Amino acid sequence: MHIDKFEEAMMNCRFCFMCRHLSTIGQVRGTEVDTPRIRAAMLYGLRTGTNSFDDSDFVEALYRQELSACCVHHCVNHYDENGLALAARADVVEAGKAPEKVQKLAKKYGKSAFTAKGKGDLAYFLDATTAADKDVVASVKRLFAAAKATPVIIEGGSIGKALKVLGYLPEAKAAAEAFAAFLAEKGVKTLVVSNPAAFDALTRDYPAFGVKLPCKVLCLSSYLLQAKVAFKKPAGEVYYLADDFMRNYDGCECPEKLLKALKATNLPFGTNDEESYCCGEGAVVFDELNPALVKELAAYVAERADHPKTDRIVVLSAYTKKVLKKYGKLDVVTMDELAAACL
Amino acid sequence: MKIKEDSYMYEMIRTELTDVVGNENVDTKFADKFGHSIDYYWIPEMWHDRGRPCPKPDFVVHPKTTAEVARIMKIANQYKIPVVPWGGGSGSQGGALPIYNGIVLDMKRMNRIVKIDKQALTVTAQTGIITKHLEWGCNKAGLSTMHLPASIACSTIGGFLAHRGTGVLSTKYGKIEDMVMSLEVVTPTGEIIRTLPVPRHASGPDLTMLFLGSEGTLGVITEVTLKVHPQPESRQFRAYIFKDFHTAMQAGQTLMRSRLQPCAMRLYDETETKTHVSKVFGIDLDKGAYLVFGFDGRKDIVDLQMKHAREIMEGEFKGKDLGSKGGEWWWENKYKFFYPGYMFHVPQAFGTLDTVADFSHIENVYWAMKKVVNTEFPDARFIGHFSHWYDWGCMLYARFIFPGDKVPPNAEEAAALYNAVWDKAIRAAIREGGVINEHHGVGLKLGRYMKDLYGKAMPVLEGIKQKLDPNGIMNPGKMGLAGC
Ligand SMILES: Cc1cc2nc3c(=O)[nH]c(=O)nc-3n(C[C@H](O)[C@H](O)[C@H](O)COP(=O)(O)OP(=O)(O)OC[C@H]3O[C@@H](n4cnc5c(N)ncnc54)[C@H](O)[C@@H]3O)c2cc1C
Ligand code: SF4
Repeated sequence: MHIDKFEEAMMNCRFCFMCRHLSTIGQVRGTEVDTPRIRAAMLYGLRTGTNSFDDSDFVEALYRQELSACCVHHCVNHYDENGLALAARADVVEAGKAPEKVQKLAKKYGKSAFTAKGKGDLAYFLDATTAADKDVVASVKRLFAAAKATPVIIEGGSIGKALKVLGYLPEAKAAAEAFAAFLAEKGVKTLVVSNPAAFDALTRDYPAFGVKLPCKVLCLSSYLLQAKVAFKKPAGEVYYLADDFMRNYDGCECPEKLLKALKATNLPFGTNDEESYCCGEGAVVFDELNPALVKELAAYVAERADHPKTDRIVVLSAYTKKVLKKYGKLDVVTMDELAAACL
Repeated sequence: MKIKEDSYMYEMIRTELTDVVGNENVDTKFADKFGHSIDYYWIPEMWHDRGRPCPKPDFVVHPKTTAEVARIMKIANQYKIPVVPWGGGSGSQGGALPIYNGIVLDMKRMNRIVKIDKQALTVTAQTGIITKHLEWGCNKAGLSTMHLPASIACSTIGGFLAHRGTGVLSTKYGKIEDMVMSLEVVTPTGEIIRTLPVPRHASGPDLTMLFLGSEGTLGVITEVTLKVHPQPESRQFRAYIFKDFHTAMQAGQTLMRSRLQPCAMRLYDETETKTHVSKVFGIDLDKGAYLVFGFDGRKDIVDLQMKHAREIMEGEFKGKDLGSKGGEWWWENKYKFFYPGYMFHVPQAFGTLDTVADFSHIENVYWAMKKVVNTEFPDARFIGHFSHWYDWGCMLYARFIFPGDKVPPNAEEAAALYNAVWDKAIRAAIREGGVINEHHGVGLKLGRYMKDLYGKAMPVLEGIKQKLDPNGIMNPGKMGLAGC
């Protein structure tokens, strides 16, 4: 089973309580089942027969995990309880026990038809979530203009992240191979992305699948820093909400560096920077999978804002912006928008 | 009592419960019930490890308000269904386990900070709040509860009240019972009561103290007002290595008798210093016993206290000074001791023989327990440290540990071995003047010693229970009280 590769996490988390305060879903639902401890104990129970994927509630709980990886980041041993959950989902799918809504989403994200607009070896991947936010798209355009670059814009579907998160590993790998082939065909040498989930897929998932990209991958923050784009207006006071992927999944520190370049005064959000302020970004399609929970997660974040109506909150992903604005009624911009406003 | 899930009565009761808290807050699914079948008690952990099912609740109910708790208690009374309050499930004594099924009342949705009073320096909170979140909320206001237990990340404040728990700064700020101003409690029959608003009074016996440590057997604590403190201007630590544990113990006692006021003190015996403290700090403390202490408050006063404490340590007792850095190691790593890799875990068999005694008895308690474990259970290791120090004595956090391959694979045999260690070690401690226990509570694990411990006072406790809980539905079978 896939979970066997995460033996260390399973055997240790099953009796450990130390990251309970960061189990975001457990926190908003007030439950035990939504904690690393009980999830791991249930997965261990597959071996002894106390638990089984025939129990649809157990499977449901596995798909309720928000995959923020806050617990992994916090853990002194960094046991990969997030990887364990992903592996468990893959086992669920292989066992043919994926819930119907998961199957539907997998079908949706299994389709992709990439398109490329423009010429050259510099490309920008505009994922569907970012593409749906016109303000972010406009900001990205302004930023590339300021960097005097006209990247090829690649759009048109899923690069495998959603499939991986849903537990469809062979399909996710196939999507990764298709995307890599497309990039090679278009002669892309540098690929820039805004979406941290896409960045994570390209830099961590692809190597794990054994898929080689023909290009280097940069997050937009790092691209702007390398291009030495001049920012004239200081960003002022902001609350930057650390990103699931960039903070907890060992992404990169470029966002923080860019904030400095933007002369932003980064105020501490909420009660503590150890706290989880995630809204399901790590689970990529969480708003489609568990909309009611996303609402609660956003409300949890909003409750912790100093001045919910006026505080300027900066996030990395268009996903987080969308849900925090919609459900948390907060004043949220993405880093791209903040940077564009400083030009 | 077990309500058959396929009976209409199950559905009748579920309907009544959902009427109180809503459908989404009554869990009847297997996975949710499973989540409330194992706490931090070794026996259910081992039972699960061996693939054996643990008792599960019939319903897991998540109230949001005190009024909801009261209504749930009335329903439970009507049908005589056991109710077990559940906080974070981090208790090590099996206190929150639904051994007779029934309703588990998971308190974690009752997680609001109701008020921070900056004039009286108090915080009022619902008791289902995770202690770390409570602390963070106070920190945001520039204050601290000063209640910093190792399980701060997973336990609710209600769990600490129910177990008379404690944190690392207990020597100055006290245990939880020293921090409480007043409580709101839902009695087993569903009445909402409040104890007097201040802890110092002469208006009869103190009802607050009746409920503290009652482990969910006398009611559900729904709200608490705690003292809070300004963050100290300075907090300094210092550590020493003494040639042996006895010398370190004398040094620690002398410091306490001097009536200097450390905020924390901890002394590890030679074995634990070598095997455990070294590992957590990542340095080699090969010989001797490690003792750490700290002071906090105004800087000039902290400096002065530290100066006098150093004289005690370095004078007569010739402690080897590890400096403030040696003390900071402990403060910075104080929670690391409890993460996997540093803490013991199944398949090992381990237990914390938590005992408290005055300074005249505590060393004898240590030696007596050590002797029992070493001679009668040669497969087990014994280590100990002294965690919480008072003017008159201290707490011994002794542990026995069997390596996994020395624990019988058969669950019943493993449980029998485990219980035998407790029986012998605890009785040895009681013989030497020790009290079980200081902050972990009684629960299921130690209930069988309550009659020994209380003697003729046990019927008094049983009488109180009978009066408050005539149907015997509140956490039955715990704390040595009747099952159902
Ligand atoms: C890693 C680790 C480290 C620990 N370190 C410490 C430590 O430093 N100090 C310490 O004191 N303990 C420590 N403990 C033990 C444990 O955390 C405490 O006993 C804690 O008080 C339990 O709180 P909980 O919310 O998890 O309660 P639970 O385990 O859920 O319940 C404990 C008991 O309290 C009752 N209860 C819970 N909530 C209520 C309520 N609102 N009203 C009435 N009864 C209630 C339950 O019925 C049960 O009998 C540690 C445990 C772990 C796992
Ligand atoms: S991730 Fe680390 S801290 Fe969290 S449950 Fe697992 S072992 Fe414990």
